[in-house]
Amino acid sequence: MKLRNTSLSLRARLYLFSVAILTLFAINVATHLWGSFARSESLVAYRDAAAAAQLVNDLEQGLETARQQVLVLATLRETTDEPLDQAERDTAMADLDLLRQRLGRLGALGGETTDDYYRRLFDSATALLEEWEEFYSNYNRPGASASVESPIQYNDTRQKLEELDQRQEFLAIQRSSTIDGTIRLTDRITVIGFVTTIAVTMLLVILLIRSANSSLLRLKTGVQRFGSGDLTYRIDEHRDAGEIQDLARTFNDMSGKLATAIEEVNSAKADADAANAAKSMFLANVSHELRTPLNAIIGYSEMLQDELGDPGDIDRDQVHHDLGTIILSGRQLLGLINEILDLSKIETGKMQVSLEDFQPVPLVLQVCDALSPLLSQRDNRLELDLGDDDSISMFSDPGKLQQIVTNLFSNACKFTENGVIKVSTRSEDGWLMLSVADDGIGMTAEQQERVFETFEQAEVTTGTKYGGTGLGLAIVRDFCTMLGGEITLRSAADEGSCFTVRLPLTGPVSNPEAA
Amino acid sequence: MTREKGCELLLVEDNDVNREMLQRRLMRAGYTVISAADGQEALDKMHGAKPDLVLLDINLPVKDGWTVAREASQDVALKSIPIIALTAHAMESDRQQALASGCDDYATKPIDFPELLVKIEHLLAS
Repeated sequence: MKLRNTSLSLRARLYLFSVAILTLFAINVATHLWGSFARSESLVAYRDAAAAAQLVNDLEQGLETARQQVLVLATLRETTDEPLDQAERDTAMADLDLLRQRLGRLGALGGETTDDYYRRLFDSATALLEEWEEFYSNYNRPGASASVESPIQYNDTRQKLEELDQRQEFLAIQRSSTIDGTIRLTDRITVIGFVTTIAVTMLLVILLIRSANSSLLRLKTGVQRFGSGDLTYRIDEHRDAGEIQDLARTFNDMSGKLATAIEEVNSAKADADAANAAKSMFLANVSHELRTPLNAIIGYSEMLQDELGDPGDIDRDQVHHDLGTIILSGRQLLGLINEILDLSKIETGKMQVSLEDFQPVPLVLQVCDALSPLLSQRDNRLELDLGDDDSISMFSDPGKLQQIVTNLFSNACKFTENGVIKVSTRSEDGWLMLSVADDGIGMTAEQQERVFETFEQAEVTTGTKYGGTGLGLAIVRDFCTMLGGEITLRSAADEGSCFTVRLPLTGPVSNPEAA
Repeated sequence: MTREKGCELLLVEDNDVNREMLQRRLMRAGYTVISAADGQEALDKMHGAKPDLVLLDINLPVKDGWTVAREASQDVALKSIPIIALTAHAMESDRQQALASGCDDYATKPIDFPELLVKIEHLLAS
């Protein structure tokens, strides 16, 4: 059945359903009309048959009466010789005329099937009537023959009339039985059609309800699954067509979009959580880093205060050394605070770049000199390769370059023990290439990916093992970008790291603030 | 001040400046002080010198302070030696971790020296 075909849309199903019901209804109406027509035809046939029978009867009686009259008159003429007056003759002729008319009407009632019988009756009756008319018109003429007493013609006419009547009756019976058959047939068809219409309608309704219900059930199941959070579930779109399929597809799309949105929210939340955790870790590290120099400053100051209260001579050299330690720790603290401020400025976009002409090679030398105490802390050796041309000149920010070198250099010292730290510079096609290499602990590929991120160190425990806040490299990377250059890293675990900075000699091309 | 003269303390600290400073101040307070610069050296000296008390920095190379404290508390020969953790981490969770690792007390940098002395004396007396 068509409705079983689930690829039909709901609208198409409803149309098909309506068309089917209307067709059945039309068939019922047509059958009913056919039955009504047969009934009315049966009525007409009955009426015709009754009229024909009546006419035959009238004609029979009329002929009987006319014959009696003719026989009486013939007897009278033979016995009395009394002439027939005009009035009497006219009346008799009118009677004969009436008989002719009746004969004509009987002919009009008959059809082709009775034509032969009627024709024979007509010929016989016409001959009889002409015989009688002749009798009447010759009545007053003396010596006229009067063959009217012979019953041959009359009996012949009577016989013909009888035959016609029988024929008509036979045809009427035949016709009425045909019509009755038709009526019975249409009645049966009407009843069967009606019952079939009811049955088919019920079947169609049930199928329609079932198919619509199963479609809606699939949608409902899907929406319930979506509602309970199962956004990977998909409603089977291909089991339906048209608007239900559209609806299923829309639900599926909605579910997909919801899943994407939830995923985005979750990943945004995870990112925010990670950033938050990194900030907390950073704060803890900053706190740790601030406390280490503060411990020395406060400790030495308190100790000096205590020692000043001791009796006896003051060891001036010792005091001088202790004060130096306090000052160094104070500077360390200041450097740390400056780093945090720098990073804050970079993050809020307030870091200024002040460009000027300067010579980078002496600047690098100066930084290495100043940081030589860091070298000896872990017994490292410095190797300088500043190229042949130490008169390279560049237009950039010397303060930032100094900080870049300082951070890279102190990093190298921090992560290397008993090793060689190699600082080299050269100019290449309008770029200053500066690299700081060490043969220290190095980094794995995964660590290298994160090492330039703010607040990140190679490992969570790096801060506790080696000190530092994880800010130095982030600042270096941001400064390189601000100066129109870049920093690259080559490293392998346990084999050391090599940071290479590439800066344009002619200064950043455009918008230095956009770091 | 009543002070048990001659008590031997082991000071474990990797930062030279801070180690030197604390050592001098503890010696001025009348203690004998030996020192170690990393976690392994600390455990070795605990075994060798059997100090009366250990001042243990947490951020140490080779073996960090938590590991040292845990290993000492599981070592029959060392578990009677009281340990005071010294750390620049100032979170409440650090304090709990210190006590959970087997430290007997906890001091935050910058060190409040008089308070540290009270803690030392209290642990030595008990």
